Amino acid sequence: MLVKSMSSPFGGLARTRVLVSLRLLESSFPRELSRVLAVPVSAVSRALARLERDALVASRLVGRSRVYTLNPGYFAKQELAAYLLRMADADEDLRGRTAELRRRPRRAGKPL
Amino acid sequence: MTLTATSSLPEVAVAAGAQLRRHGITAVLTGGACVSVYTDGAYGSKDADFVIQGKVQQKALDDALAELGFVRRGDRYVHADVTFYLEFPPGPLAIGSDLAIRPAEVAIAGDVALALSPTDSCRDRLAAFYHWRDRQSLQLAVAVARHQAVDLEAIGKWSRAEGRLDDFDEFLREIRRGE
Repeated sequence: MLVKSMSSPFGGLARTRVLVSLRLLESSFPRELSRVLAVPVSAVSRALARLERDALVASRLVGRSRVYTLNPGYFAKQELAAYLLRMADADEDLRGRTAELRRRPRRAGKPL
Repeated sequence: MTLTATSSLPEVAVAAGAQLRRHGITAVLTGGACVSVYTDGAYGSKDADFVIQGKVQQKALDDALAELGFVRRGDRYVHADVTFYLEFPPGPLAIGSDLAIRPAEVAIAGDVALALSPTDSCRDRLAAFYHWRDRQSLQLAVAVARHQAVDLEAIGKWSRAEGRLDDFDEFLREIRRGE
């Protein structure tokens, strides 16, 4: 068992890091989040399902992919976004991984 | 009210809301079913979404809805004879960042339930249009505005605060198109 080394105020480290990642990436999908966070897709999917049930994230189908974002209809969306950005300040590793993903060139027309 | 296979969504939604009220559970009808109530069923949905206010034990909710014939299956309540189901999305009751929501009463066949007001039902659907560019939600907001008296000034003020005045103008154009 890992020593708890980071605050996880959203009911678990996976959920917290998924939320912080979505804040940094703006939108993403389970397989991409799995790569960013270096955890199994199943763990990401479980975290996303719980977060969606709590209305913190929202999803929609884009082509054949289910794309997730922070829920734009959440009543405290601005406060949540600001808080997650502050959380990201404390997670240099995650900031590096998401920045790397955003810098990587993508084939024109490829979804996300 | 006895629910049957021919019960409409407004009848089911109001019967469920009224049943919850009788059991001391404050639940406010939102979403597409609320639109259906305000448009006399002209616009449909498959489910009725209620936002519960205050703390409610799961068993109390189960027992109240069981008297109407609904049983819990996962996150929803289903009825053997009714095609519509009930869901309870997490609160708080809010439209965007606005928490100052005052529910209205809606009545059908002697049952009285709490629901978003027509103005807030409009805002609720417009929020989906603003956030997701969902044009069906825009049409639902338009339908409510055509069937009910809504406070367009208040909706305009809220839209301005959301930074969506252009979209609000489109909403107004759509309402007038049908006149």
